[in-house]
Amino acid sequence: MSKDLITIKGGKDGFRLLVDSSASMEQIEAEIKKKLEANPGFFPEGTKFELEVADLDRSVKKGIDQLLSQHGLGIEKSGKKAQPRYTGARENHPRPVAQEQPVVQEMMVINHTIRGGEEISSKSSVLICGNVNPGAQIIAGGSIDIRGTCRGTVHAGAWGDTNAVIIADRLMPTQIRIANLIARSPDNMEKNDFAERAYIKDGKIIIEPIER
Amino acid sequence: MSEVIVVTSGKGGVGKSTTTANLGVGLAMRGQKVVLIDTDTGLRNLDLLLGLENRIMYDLVDVIEGRVEIRKALVRHKKYENLQLLPTSQVKDKSAVNPADLMALCDELRKEYDYVIIDCPAGIEQGFKTAIAGADTAIVVTMPEVSAVRDADKIIGELGRSEKDNIKLIINRIRPAMVSSGEMMDMDDINDILAIKCIGQVPDDIKVVTSANRGEPVVGDNDSEAGRAYANIVGRIMGEDIPFLEFEKQGFFTKLKKAFGILGGEK
Repeated sequence: MSKDLITIKGGKDGFRLLVDSSASMEQIEAEIKKKLEANPGFFPEGTKFELEVADLDRSVKKGIDQLLSQHGLGIEKSGKKAQPRYTGARENHPRPVAQEQPVVQEMMVINHTIRGGEEISSKSSVLICGNVNPGAQIIAGGSIDIRGTCRGTVHAGAWGDTNAVIIADRLMPTQIRIANLIARSPDNMEKNDFAERAYIKDGKIIIEPIER
Repeated sequence: MSEVIVVTSGKGGVGKSTTTANLGVGLAMRGQKVVLIDTDTGLRNLDLLLGLENRIMYDLVDVIEGRVEIRKALVRHKKYENLQLLPTSQVKDKSAVNPADLMALCDELRKEYDYVIIDCPAGIEQGFKTAIAGADTAIVVTMPEVSAVRDADKIIGELGRSEKDNIKLIINRIRPAMVSSGEMMDMDDINDILAIKCIGQVPDDIKVVTSANRGEPVVGDNDSEAGRAYANIVGRIMGEDIPFLEFEKQGFFTKLKKAFGILGGEK
């Protein structure tokens, strides 16, 4: 079973019970029992669930109701009414939020060393607390910050963001790519003991030391 | 408490089997009950390094397929009664053993032996996955060479993904003279990249080859640098309470040796 047949979600207006319409009554019954018995006492007596399902057989619905009532729970009768109320809330919400708050940039944080053969790919920026070893590849839509030594291949702004930067405590990558530009390491790499930043300036990748 | 150790490397030829044989003999010399398992099915040679080829009756595949009891397939070392070898088949291939089988086997052997040491095949395919399945500890063997270090790095990543977190490093076949002249990777460079606990640095030593041909691992030989290095590793595995310091100390010795490289290194 790849997907849960039964999902219980907590919402502002109470709990919602999501049922896969392809499931049989026996399966549903077993799943609900399992969920309820896994956390006895989690749902206070009298809790009502909103039933959410595409087209549920009436007998199945009745079965679920009976099962829940055995545990002192029940189904919210106004299941159908709740549906539009919920989608309505979803429509109204995002707009004011987007207007009030500045654009939130996401960042992927990785707290270990990326070893050879591993690939990290993210549409957002990437922060790595560890080393990036030779043979490893980091691909980020935004910038890349490595709190350690970078010896692998790093690609910032992989979807075209030319403002992306790459920062590392010790920057000695095999290859550095920002947006659509590529630079490779010199054949005789020096070992630096200061942090550096790579960015695009006048159509070229520039690497400069930074304080941090 | 018994420990199941897998000796692995990714790359071939760095000395997995040699290390396994030496650790096995070394631990047995110190009175531990040890069993070595060769999982390089189809390319078995741990028995050769131990000089036990002519005593093999049954193998790992016979045990897994239930044809014989484990006890019957174990080959006792001619010199050290505490040391047993479970050889593998030379005719079958890696698909003859799966991870669950080996895990069950390790759990069985764990009851009777202090150390179960598994010699892993090269590569990261099925043979590797089988070999590491039942292990508590992994010892990654590498040598000061870019390709060996790169493969060791990959293997450490793979071990991490298989939730094997207790990983130790042995750097094998070091040529101190070449290191000091900058022709070979520095120990610090390797430790910097791999960033796991190093429990041994073994110099390249012709005695390793000659003793392998005789079927007598070098670990007992006090005249051999490699033999002494392996004996130190054995001590560290037994938890002699100085692992990290001991390594620092050894690093210091290596540096000393490096300083006298012109005197001691040339043959």
